[in-house]
Amino acid sequence: MKQGLIVALALLLMSPSLTAAEESAETLLGDESDGSRAQPNHLIELFPEDVDPDSFEFIKGDKIDPDIDESSKVLLPFSTKWTCGECHNYNIISKGWHFNAADPNVLPGRPGQPWIYFDARLATQIPLSHRPWRGTYRPSQVGLTDREFVKIFGRHMPGGGVGEHEADNTEQKMRQYISGKLEANCLACHNADPGQDQGSSYGYAIQVARGNCRWAAAASSGFVSVTGSAEDMPDTYDPFDPFEVESAKKGQKSPPAITYHKAAFDNENRVLFNIVGEIPAKRCYYCHSNLYLNDAEKTEKWSSDEDVHLKAGLTCVDCHRNGLEHDIIRGYEEESTVSQNPLAAAISCESCHQAGRLGAPIPEHPGIPPIHFEKLTCTVCHSGPWPDKKTILAKTSRAHRLGTPNVNKSDEALPHIIAPVFAAQQSGWQPQACPERSRRAELGDGGKIAPHKLIWPSFWAELVDKQIKPIDLDVVKQTVGEVFANLELPQSGDWPALSKEHIAEALASLQRAVEGKAVYLAGGNLYSLDDKGKLQKRLDHPAAQPYLWPIAHDVRPAAQSLGVRRCEDCHATDSPFFFGTVTVDSPVVEDRMSVRKMVEFEDLNPLYMWLFSFSFVFRPWLKVVTIGACVILAGILLLYALKALACVTKIFAGEEDKPT
Amino acid sequence: MFRTVSIACFITAFVGIVIHWIIFRPKADELFGADRRLHILDPLRVLFFFLTLLLIPQKLSLVGVLRKLVYLLAMLCFVVLFVTGFFSKLIFGETISGYWLMLHATFAPVFAICVAILAVMWAHNCRLNKKYWPWLQKIIQREVTNMAVPEKHELAQKLSFWLIVVLSVPLILSIMLSMFLLFGTYWQQLLADTHRYIAIVFALAVVIHTYLMVLIQAKR
Repeated sequence: MKQGLIVALALLLMSPSLTAAEESAETLLGDESDGSRAQPNHLIELFPEDVDPDSFEFIKGDKIDPDIDESSKVLLPFSTKWTCGECHNYNIISKGWHFNAADPNVLPGRPGQPWIYFDARLATQIPLSHRPWRGTYRPSQVGLTDREFVKIFGRHMPGGGVGEHEADNTEQKMRQYISGKLEANCLACHNADPGQDQGSSYGYAIQVARGNCRWAAAASSGFVSVTGSAEDMPDTYDPFDPFEVESAKKGQKSPPAITYHKAAFDNENRVLFNIVGEIPAKRCYYCHSNLYLNDAEKTEKWSSDEDVHLKAGLTCVDCHRNGLEHDIIRGYEEESTVSQNPLAAAISCESCHQAGRLGAPIPEHPGIPPIHFEKLTCTVCHSGPWPDKKTILAKTSRAHRLGTPNVNKSDEALPHIIAPVFAAQQSGWQPQACPERSRRAELGDGGKIAPHKLIWPSFWAELVDKQIKPIDLDVVKQTVGEVFANLELPQSGDWPALSKEHIAEALASLQRAVEGKAVYLAGGNLYSLDDKGKLQKRLDHPAAQPYLWPIAHDVRPAAQSLGVRRCEDCHATDSPFFFGTVTVDSPVVEDRMSVRKMVEFEDLNPLYMWLFSFSFVFRPWLKVVTIGACVILAGILLLYALKALACVTKIFAGEEDKPT
Repeated sequence: MFRTVSIACFITAFVGIVIHWIIFRPKADELFGADRRLHILDPLRVLFFFLTLLLIPQKLSLVGVLRKLVYLLAMLCFVVLFVTGFFSKLIFGETISGYWLMLHATFAPVFAICVAILAVMWAHNCRLNKKYWPWLQKIIQREVTNMAVPEKHELAQKLSFWLIVVLSVPLILSIMLSMFLLFGTYWQQLLADTHRYIAIVFALAVVIHTYLMVLIQAKR
């Protein structure tokens, strides 16, 4: 009987449930400012997401009472959608930049940081994104469902977007019924309370990993405790049924359950949140931290500088602004061609620093020919780590789950992100993904050189009609995973040392599972087996080329900018900017020997740049010679001007001018 | 803007020189004699003749040899600088860059030295004596004595020489100063524009000076 109820429930959920809030487009209390700059008080009632026992649609539940009798009603986590949605239009907000990656109608803009799926055992490191950025793959292309994607990467997602997608089959729907959707977690950014818990052992990230999506936002709030795991519950579990929840609690595996800290509630069961519009930088840092591994000491925060703007008293959102739409400004040139944010054209490096806005220093750039500003972004000289002869590894919150429990702190831990790479900015996205917008994609190009982070994709694929298609990760695990089962993995989390024999063996195994030709891409090369089963290597295959995304932080002040010492910071035959070495990262030992020069990524002629840099050796001579010539010319002019003056004085004196 | 101005200037100068040439050109009979055969070859003869005139008269002294060598080197540098400096802008509308820029910067200091040396060597011969200003002489002194009549176009040639010398200084300084850590972006742009526009006038002065020099030599 119960099984039948669950199946009926699942079938009902097959159709997208429209709720009153979703249909609403009215302006709510908090959607429009009355002009006051004071911080609004958020002493508010909490509302959970509940399920209608008749229609099985998700609805707004009754106000949360922490003292509820749990034998008659399940104590549910508060829902941001229903709680914050009381005064703020959740529907509009959840279409903002942080939540709309999977929306095909949203222009992806300049390439950004992808999600990176990596597995050392499978020798795989592949950039994923729902946005059609060139060089990335959609999660579905490697066989990741939305639920799996959220489980892996939701730790650093603000919720919403794919976290709220309707599951597309019965089994997935039933699991989604248990775990709930990952709603946009307003608190992740807007809760300035120090108790906000994104990454601790009981915080947001852990709850998402346990499949407790419905509980994740509440768990992060700092005044609740969440235990148990939705992942451990059977498909037939009903989290809204008090009897079932109580029964499950007596089992070996704990169901997701919430306990509110009663001290947080007032006598009317309201809770005071420290909600702010001006997001503190520490909140942004949870997902947007960078660690450059150029010096062991630099891993310690106290030994390195922050972005100069933060030190000057600004916060991230002073530049990365947004309104109710949450269409946050990313802050790159030409963003206004793709962004709906009316301030996109007005908020940039130039907009503040050319006008001296709010006291921003107006750069004079003495001695720098204006051509630099046509060819380079501001960030080339002012952002990211100072370039050295060789690129370094970098870690980011999203790629290396920084700020979450049990992070591998080894420098070599995968994924391997390389920085800084000075490269010409590429077109925004794959034209085939948005054919009607290919022209705008070119508009978003810019083509200026900018500092980038880079990742060399390494993954197993099949060649179908000359197109590279990544193979489902499940298939790879079953085939390649078995072949590499005994492969020794470094404790550091680095790549295993793959030989050609390893690849040939894995490809042979993989070939039996796919219809197309099995190939392996790594270190910029494509490996495949020929008809005789012998391994072939094609150098510099387009699909194996690295994915790069521009970086803009940390911004360094003028005194620490590239070129501040002299032109030879860049224009020297051994300058890192042109001739620095870009590491080629690959699990294949043989590939690691190869390197690329920075100039190859800059769309510049290496010979010309070398000659041009070499010419700077003679620059002092040029100055001396030409100034010497100027002095002689000026001397002659002065001499004959004086002679002419002498002649005039003679004439006026009445003396006959005698030819000399 | 610069492209339009430079094209207009060069076309105007070219048309002006052509008209001037038509009016003041030496007759072929004067140059080659009336008894020559195959008059059809005259254009070729004229071309070679003027090319030889570009090779200014050489004197056997060390200074004479030096003067000629420097002059020839200056002409070569001028041609290279003219082509590299104006080609990209006039043809493609782009600012000079790449190998063009490198060539330009390589020949520029050589040209600067040549111009300085030539200025030293030619300045005395290019003095503007009072014989060029008889009208002024009449106004000031009310009498004109010992007035040798200058050759036709001599004044214009000397004026163009002094124009070249005068323009050389800002032409060189405008680009040279931009290489020092003195001027910010606005002034860098201004210096670059100054260099470009002075280069137009300078190039016209050189062309006119060379044309007049050839014409005077031919007349002689």
